[in-house]
Amino acid sequence: MTRFILADLRRLWAGSLVIVLLIAFATALGVAVTLQERALRLGSARAADRFDLVVGAPGSETQLLLSSVFLQPSPLPLMPGNVLGKLAADPRVAWAAPVGFGDSFSGYPIVGTSTALTTNLSALKEGRVFSKAGEAVIGAGVTLPLGYEVKPTHGLAALGGETHTELAYRITGRMAATGTSWDRAILVPIQSVWNLHGMGGHADEHDHAAEAHHAEDPGHEDHAGGHGHGHVDPDAPLDENWTAEAPGLPAILVKPKTIADAYKLRQDYRGNGTLAVFPGEVLTNLYATLGDAKRVLSAVAVGAQILVAAAVLMVTVMHIGQRRRQIGALRAFGAPQSAVLAIVWLELFILIALGILFGFAIGYGAAMMLSAMFSGESGIVLPVGFIRDDLKSVAAIVLFSAMLALAPALLAYRQSPAAALRA
Amino acid sequence: MLSLELSRISVSYPGLLSPVLDIPSLAIAAGSRIAVTGASGSGKSTLVSILTGLERCAAGGSIRWGDADIAGMSERGRDRWRGAHIGLIMQDFHLFPGLSAVDNILLPARLSRAMKPGDPDRALMLLYAVGLCRADQKIETMSRGEMQRVAIARALLRKPGVLIADEPTASLDSESGDAVARLLIDLSVSNESTLIVVSHDPRLTGQLDRRITLSAGRVASDRAHREKAA
Ligand SMILES: Nc1ncnc2c1ncn2[C@@H]1O[C@H](COP(=O)(O)OP(=O)(O)OP(=O)(O)O)[C@@H](O)[C@H]1O
Ligand SMILES: [Mg+2]
Repeated sequence: MTRFILADLRRLWAGSLVIVLLIAFATALGVAVTLQERALRLGSARAADRFDLVVGAPGSETQLLLSSVFLQPSPLPLMPGNVLGKLAADPRVAWAAPVGFGDSFSGYPIVGTSTALTTNLSALKEGRVFSKAGEAVIGAGVTLPLGYEVKPTHGLAALGGETHTELAYRITGRMAATGTSWDRAILVPIQSVWNLHGMGGHADEHDHAAEAHHAEDPGHEDHAGGHGHGHVDPDAPLDENWTAEAPGLPAILVKPKTIADAYKLRQDYRGNGTLAVFPGEVLTNLYATLGDAKRVLSAVAVGAQILVAAAVLMVTVMHIGQRRRQIGALRAFGAPQSAVLAIVWLELFILIALGILFGFAIGYGAAMMLSAMFSGESGIVLPVGFIRDDLKSVAAIVLFSAMLALAPALLAYRQSPAAALRA
Repeated sequence: MLSLELSRISVSYPGLLSPVLDIPSLAIAAGSRIAVTGASGSGKSTLVSILTGLERCAAGGSIRWGDADIAGMSERGRDRWRGAHIGLIMQDFHLFPGLSAVDNILLPARLSRAMKPGDPDRALMLLYAVGLCRADQKIETMSRGEMQRVAIARALLRKPGVLIADEPTASLDSESGDAVARLLIDLSVSNESTLIVVSHDPRLTGQLDRRITLSAGRVASDRAHREKAA
């Protein structure tokens, strides 16, 4: 029987291949969409998980999250500089680190922050934390060697920002991977960012206001050349005693000591010129508002599944036509129904199962590739993986095709062998 | 060897005024060798389908092979009975491409799970008996004459009580036709099978004991031949 089936499949290999590919691609589409959607959700949630509480100026919670956690350049309003000092001194806070954006280097965002972040976000893999104004620590995903001199570009180089000539950061350390966007960041002391943009400790009120006002332009090109670039001494020691005179800040990352502290802090820093958010919560809301997009993706996935079903159906119908004579002949020579059923069912089911198997492999590969591409660009690791429920849908598809594959053999017994042989 | 008794056989198709086959009664003795002839469309193939249970006859008819009335059997029951008792040779062979000659001969027994330990040897012996020696040759590479011989060997594998052939020489040249005719007769004798052959071929029908002629679905003549040298 096996020999018969193999001989048959070999004889009809071209048609069989087409069937397998058809089913494989339809399955792959569904699998890739499902996996990618899930990976995006899991990956962003995990990336946001590292950050317990983000404090910023009142405005869009989503933008605060995207900028501080995912380091997407977006216009953030600034909050008063004294918030940082207050938070750093708060007994409920394990650590608080400022975040300042604006510059980049060959596509990597340069983020001004403090040693609180570089020592707490993840352990250093090599080197040491910055200790002078002209030093930098890089994320695990930044492909620059230690000791390299980073000349910051104002804004994004892709947008034609000018290069700062006043200061070059020397890379002194590299952090371990975190699976977040911060893996692609070049972390520098925030004082250097302030000084470089003329917002030193003795804050220039005019520039400060302009910064806040034109915050919708992360590149600040409109006042490029016009704003006073302060001179920065690369060997100046770090000063992380945040005073009330610190310049305005777009965001502060806060690690509360306990969960209860986290809720209290969020309560306390909502209002009075600040906005505290839980990244996880914002993300959940974001998914809710993105529900439509998700529905579109699900529709595509369902569409792909219908495509699979249609492909299987079409194949079955073709199979019935092709097999009538063969089934008639098998019966004419006394093959019992069980053997005929087994042959016809197995032949069809082998093709369908192969198609589904390849489809899952291709879909998985495609999702992995998309995730790798996305990680390369954002630093966020998108975990592609199957979950237990996938088994259920596989079982459903397989069961459906298994039943369908029975149809040709069962239909064959609705007519006499003589009629089938005449076909 | 099986004997046959037909009674009240009638086959009609919708849209046709008269039945394509109408035989009130017909008996064939076990071990006899019968030729069925008749004009094209006279119902010969239909008769073969009825005798082998490939087609059902109208209610009330009976097709009694030995003790078994296959008219009363289910589709599956008839398939099983046919596999065990009838060696069927059809005009267009219905061999299975992709398989070798010997695998084709063994396939029906294998699928019915009726393989006996001696069957592979018997298949080779039959292949030799029909004059073929390349047992592993793929069926689709064979000539039509060779295919017909494989079909005959396949029909004989399970030592059927009846051997039924529908125009076994029609698509063969006269030389292979003669050879096949001789084979059918010799092998039915040595296997002790009743033989029923549908044929226009006088070289084949002339060698059989009895000739039934059909015309428009009825038995037009039924004559015993001169005693032939067995
Ligand atoms: N399914 C069918 N529907 C209608 N008519 C049919 C059907 N099957 C057979 N017939 C008719 O039954 C008659 C007998 O057919 P059959 O095949 O038995 O002829 P035959 O004697 O074998 O002819 P030939 O020598 O050409 O093979 C024919 O007239 C044919 O048209
Ligand atoms: Mg015919």
